Order: sequence, then C-alpha cells, then structure tokens
Amino acid sequence: MLEATLNFKLLEMCSKCGACFSICPSATHIPGYDPRAVIKDILAGTYEKWLSSAHIWQCLECHFCLEICYQHYGFENAMTALRTVAAKKGMHPPQVKRGWDMFIKTSRLGEPTLPARKKLGLPEPTASGADEFKKLHALLKDAREGHKTE
Amino acid sequence: MKEFAVFWGCTIQTRFPFIEKSTRIVLEGFKLPYRDIDGFTCCPEKSLVNNIDHAMFTLTAARNVALVDEKGYDLVSPCTGCVSNLATVKGELKANPKEKGEVNSLLNQVGREFTGEAKLSHLVPFFHDMVGIHEIKKRMIKNFSGLKIALHYGCHMIRPSHALKNDDPLEPKKFDNIIKAMGAESVDHMTKLMCCGQGLDRVDMHDKALHFARIKLRELKQLGTDAMVLCCPSCFLQFDNNQFLMEKEGEKFGIPIIYFTELIGLSMGYSPEELGMNAHRVDCEPFIKKWESLCAKTDCAADIKAGLNSGGGILG
Ligand code: SF4
Ligand code: SF4
Repeated sequence: MLEATLNFKLLEMCSKCGACFSICPSATHIPGYDPRAVIKDILAGTYEKWLSSAHIWQCLECHFCLEICYQHYGFENAMTALRTVAAKKGMHPPQVKRGWDMFIKTSRLGEPTLPARKKLGLPEPTASGADEFKKLHALLKDAREGHKTE
Repeated sequence: MKEFAVFWGCTIQTRFPFIEKSTRIVLEGFKLPYRDIDGFTCCPEKSLVNNIDHAMFTLTAARNVALVDEKGYDLVSPCTGCVSNLATVKGELKANPKEKGEVNSLLNQVGREFTGEAKLSHLVPFFHDMVGIHEIKKRMIKNFSGLKIALHYGCHMIRPSHALKNDDPLEPKKFDNIIKAMGAESVDHMTKLMCCGQGLDRVDMHDKALHFARIKLRELKQLGTDAMVLCCPSCFLQFDNNQFLMEKEGEKFGIPIIYFTELIGLSMGYSPEELGMNAHRVDCEPFIKKWESLCAKTDCAADIKAGLNSGGGILG
C-alpha cells in the first residue's frame, strides 16, 4: 500500500524533451549531474549503476523541473525513484541513515532546545506526538504484512 | 480572521529558537489569533523521509494536518519546507480518494481523521493575503527606505505550485510586494530564485553546499546589497551558517541574513536584541547601523512635527 511509483509513459516523453535541463540548478552547477542520462538508462533497464552514484542524491527537490514541464512531471521523479530503490538496498548516505533513524525513533529531527528557550522567554514546548506516531508506524508495518500474506 | 495553529517545525525549534521568538513577537504585535497545539511531529522532511518510505511520509503529514482539521483551525508556518511538505500530501490525498481511505483506515486506529479542511499557509503569503499590506504599513513606525535588500523566496515557499497555489512559481511577486511596501529596494539579481543548495549538506556534500551559497553571496556582494531577507530555516542555515564558515576560511562576503519576522519586528520598533538577532552567526550590525543612520536623516521632520503637536495655537 501507498508505495512510491514511477510513470514510464511520462518518462518516455522526457526522453524526447529535456527542456528542464536548462533550468535545473544541479545540472547547471554540478559537473556530471544529468538526469537525461539517468532517464535514458531507466527506460533501457540499465539503471543499476546509478544506484551507487552520488548524483542521485544531488537533486535538490527544488521543483523547478516540475514547474517548467509541459507534463507537470519533472526530472525529480526519476531521481526520487532511484533514491528510493537505493535506500531499500541500504545504499543511502550515512547522514540520511542517521536522519531516518532519529525520525523513526523520536518522530522529529531534533528536540526543542530548552535552555535557549528559557533564555529567550519562550513558552514550554507543546506535548510531543511521538507515542501516537510510533503506534502509527507499527500499524503500517502490520498492514504491509497483511498485504503480503493475503 | 480564523484561528490558526503555528507549525514551528524541527529546524526552527532545534537550531534557531530565536526565529520562534521574533515570529511570536510579530504575531502578538499584529494581534493575530494564533494557537499552540499539542501533538505535532516532524512535518516530515520530504527529501529524507519520502526517499526511504513514501507511506510513512504520507501518514506522518496526514496526521499533522488531521490535528489541525480536528480543531477547525488553519495552519501557518514560518518554515517553507513544512508547508510545502504538508500541502503536497494534502493535495495528493484530496486528489486520490483511495489513498485517502487507506491513510484514514490507519489514522482512525489512533483516533484521528484526515479531512484536509485546514488551509495551510506559509507566513509570507499569509501576511500578504490575510494580514494585508495595508495593515503591515499601519503597524510600521520605521521604514527601510534607502536600503537594498535581496529577497530569497526559497523554493518551497512557492513550489510545487499545484499544492501551494499561492504565487507564480517561476515569477513570484508577493514577498517583493511586502518588501517594497516597507520602503526597501528589492534588488533584482540573477540568482534570486536559485535554490539555496542546503539540501546538499544533508547528504554529506558540504563542499557542494558551500559552492551553492558562494555563487549567490558573490553576486549580492558585487551588487552592494545591504542584506538578504528570507523566511526559511533551511535557507537561513545555508546563508548564515555557511557564509560564516566560508568567512572563517578567508572568503569575505559580509551579507547580513535577516529573517522576515525580524524585519517586520524592526519596523515595528522592536530592538535587534529583543528579536534575538544577536544569535546570528553573520553580524547584522552593518545593516542595523546603516538603517539607523538613514532613519535619523529621514527624521528631519521630527522637530517641526513636535512643534506642531506641542499645544498652543488656536486648538490649544
Ligand atoms: S528538482 Fe532536482 S532535477 Fe528538478 S530542477 Fe531541482 S535539482 Fe533539478
Ligand atoms: S520532466 Fe518535463 S520538461 Fe523535463 S524532460 Fe521530462 S517532459 Fe521535458
């Protein structure tokens, strides 16, 4: 349920277009970053090599490609899909791993800094949603297991 | 105006509590009906969570929106990423009843229901559309006339447009309208809409993140910009902290980075210290000094005004 998807029909159109390349900040400023090549390989079924490439993590999710695209699709979808596959294989950067662990354990990416809050005269932080979040995570796992065994 | 919950997000509360401070000062100062509510988690951060687990991304955001839905409030955030992520999921679920059903079947088991009724706004378009420029001018006791300000919208204030629907995604105007109304010159520059590049710091590519910051800061220095104004903690981290790190290594830019709420606060007469601006890593002093000297100059009318108001004459 709720899994990430990739639209191959739209990607076919990309392979004939490439318009968003000219507006993509990573393509402009990072040598070797070229989603056109990535899309070509996805369509040819030879995307394996990109999973270990740093380039798939250099998409900034700035959504420029999405906005300029006549399909309102965007290069970013191809990059997100490859990142998802790479992460499933445990090939994501260490910092991403640490971030994910913290998110899943605490429901946040950091806790309010209490001494600084006091100094600034800020109110006590509101109650955390961590317990409910953890329940939800467990429920999702169960639902996925259910889907598999059905 | 409808009551609204403020969504502070992880970055502001963890790293920049002074941004929460200036935001509260401004919300109070404008007497806006803001609320703090229990139970929010990370929005969650899309580039991190969505890459690993799309379902968890969707569920977490839907739950946060459900908390606001339940209360009948709207939601406003001083973080672009939070609004953009929450709105992306809200849009996806509203367009896809099957997925919404799946999400709610899980949320119901913890006693929540996503309806997507709540309006989700970032603080800048919220000030433009809901508070209004007229009201901003009314509360302003000092303007920024004579100062060159470079606006950095931040990608996620305006994109993805199908989810946010608040401005032109490639040629935004609202932030400019506000800054101009506050008397400043909004400097035209090539890199105005360029992504800040902070995302690269989150995937272990610090040098590349610095490079992105450098490109923009160089241009602003060349143009003689007095300050960069923005309203996103991620962009703030990129331009304040990373500028500071580059300056330590000998590259000089000297561009103060001012949060939108700080600028509004200053215009209302709050001091930089009250607004927590001394916590910035790049010194704001040059901007404040120049501003104060400009204010002193434009205040040549103060004398005669005082004379006119000081009693005597036929109206005594
Ligand atoms: S979202 Fe990614 S691929 Fe699209 S323009 Fe931005 S950096 Fe490039
Ligand atoms: S994402 Fe859109 S603009 Fe970019 S190559 Fe594909 S079709 Fe063209």
